Amino acid sequence: MAAPERVAIAAAGVVTPIGQDLEAFWSGLITGASGISQIERVPVADLRVQRGGEVKKLGRIKEWGAVPDCRATRLLIAAADDLCTQSAFRPLPLDPARVGVVVGTALGGVEEGEKALAGDRTWRRLPGALYDAPGWNLARWLGARGPVITVSTACASGAAALATGADLLRRGEADAVVAGGYDALCRFVLRGFNALRSLTRDEIRPFDRRRSGLLLGEAGALALLVRERDLTGPRLGTLLGHGSASDGFHIAAPEPEGRGLERAIRAALADARLSPADVDFVSAHGTATPLNDRIETAALKRALGPRAHEIPINSIKGSLGHTMGAAAALEAFMCLLAAQRGLIPPTLHLEEPDPECDLDYVPGRARAARPRIMLSTSMGFGGCNGALVLEAG
Amino acid sequence: MRAPAIRALGILTGNEESADGGSAGASSRESADGGSAGAISGPPQMKVLTLARPDRPGDRFRRATRECLLALAAVDAMLEDGKAPREAIAGERTALLYVTAAAYGASNREFIERRGGVTHFAYTAPAVVPAEVAIEYGVTGAYGILIGGAPATLRAIEQAARLLEHGTCDRALLLAVEIFEECADLYAGHRRFTRWPLVETAACLWLERGEGELRFESVRGGAAGPAARGGERFAAGPLADLREWLDRASDGPLELSGRWRGERARLRWNMLTSHPRGGAA
Repeated sequence: MAAPERVAIAAAGVVTPIGQDLEAFWSGLITGASGISQIERVPVADLRVQRGGEVKKLGRIKEWGAVPDCRATRLLIAAADDLCTQSAFRPLPLDPARVGVVVGTALGGVEEGEKALAGDRTWRRLPGALYDAPGWNLARWLGARGPVITVSTACASGAAALATGADLLRRGEADAVVAGGYDALCRFVLRGFNALRSLTRDEIRPFDRRRSGLLLGEAGALALLVRERDLTGPRLGTLLGHGSASDGFHIAAPEPEGRGLERAIRAALADARLSPADVDFVSAHGTATPLNDRIETAALKRALGPRAHEIPINSIKGSLGHTMGAAAALEAFMCLLAAQRGLIPPTLHLEEPDPECDLDYVPGRARAARPRIMLSTSMGFGGCNGALVLEAG
Repeated sequence: MRAPAIRALGILTGNEESADGGSAGASSRESADGGSAGAISGPPQMKVLTLARPDRPGDRFRRATRECLLALAAVDAMLEDGKAPREAIAGERTALLYVTAAAYGASNREFIERRGGVTHFAYTAPAVVPAEVAIEYGVTGAYGILIGGAPATLRAIEQAARLLEHGTCDRALLLAVEIFEECADLYAGHRRFTRWPLVETAACLWLERGEGELRFESVRGGAAGPAARGGERFAAGPLADLREWLDRASDGPLELSGRWRGERARLRWNMLTSHPRGGAA
């Protein structure tokens, strides 16, 4: 069967705890900046862990106008504003009916429901609590009138959104797609992860012997996807393939051997018509929970074989926290920027490598390298696994 | 795109009528023509699904939410419809796609209002519904979850067809669940948001490679269409329509349609070899 049509990532826009545009995000990653701080926007006094990757002042947009007062929507639109600034994509330069929007999220607009049910009880916010509401708000802001799709494979949602966006282009359902992920820190998710006791009071230390859990973060991350043959300007990179697989094991815990992630990686490489030997760099999910990092290491070893020991692998969650629906999109953009700039960001706070995580996880400082083919992995609640294969430039 | 063949379809649909956010009352006949937003008078109606906890070994389902249990029941109904053992859908060659507009609302509300206990949080994720199916039946193939109404379901059928056509899987399960009862008062407070009556539905469609043509179309805007036959089922609507078409044993092309927010979608499904009740099996 012929290789799937190549889809270019023409540009990307982000809002993150370490910077509210792509350049600031990149600078923060390579300099080892931490976006973790005391959470201020929502009450956390009753929670065991009160820190996270909070975006302190959503300052990109001065006048929100008719944009709903919904944090998730505003994170998305702030990321879109960065994207549009870089790519002159607003007002739309093509038929709005040919512009699609695909977003991934773990939480959607749940904070709107939280405010209505546990807060102001006006209930006017409730329609915004549906998980697809922020995606439709983004489409309205962009003026896009093509397909609007929300995917929710938990913390693998950003990867699923980029994959779904690419498929829309390959099928000819759109000529440009704004795709990525988002999630906002709110009481709902902070309370939930506190209850699960998966948050750490220490630093986030992916693949470190002392790792003791994750911290949550919030972000918006969007890419402009176009078919490679339609691309006229510069590009950040190319999405070559994607894969997904279910663990079928547990609703909240990953399968102990990482078989689902392994299948997703193999599927993504097969979709890209590449072999493990072609992979130059891996952006790991790397949440810094004791279980995740060990399982992911094992899955990478099986899926990539000897190549797993030869290439750099990093996790950027030490800088940002786990940004849930935005994580995979941010990690994909990091891969492409690493290739473009010739630097791989370090795995922040990895100081004492875990013997069970014995791959090259880029501790300490950014490393000079210019990978061409990159793999990004994601895992989420419900045993959702996703993998993306990306090409530089 | 090559049309997939229908191997089986299981569907559970609400028949217990609940009015004005109350609990399920006496059983009632389904409305033939439904209603439309703004045209209703008196309390909006809702047809809910009642389901006992499944008789399954162990206590894995002790905390499972109603939407999870209904999903499992829909898969059981699908297996019964296809006269297939559960092993027939196990493994990595089975893809699982889940679609819902709002089934997670019940568990989200429960957690927000602190009625679910700390361990309930995991069940608030939409991803947990297909996860329970994947765990119970050993489904470990490609995976997707779309949030939206009927157009998302039609799109998921097309996605399943593509996975089959590309050889990513040998069979694809499309699961759709919508429940309303736990949020009945909230829906009643936003009557214009949807059409009535709301009908709880859980359905699972089993697709395999087939012959013929499948064409998906989606447009934005346009006038509101007629009320869904038999009530509003959000994402599960197209599978209820498909069940009806299968039960009629129609020979002609199948057309499924639906709308959600500003999108109208249509799926034209011209099956050459597949036939109602799993002729392609």
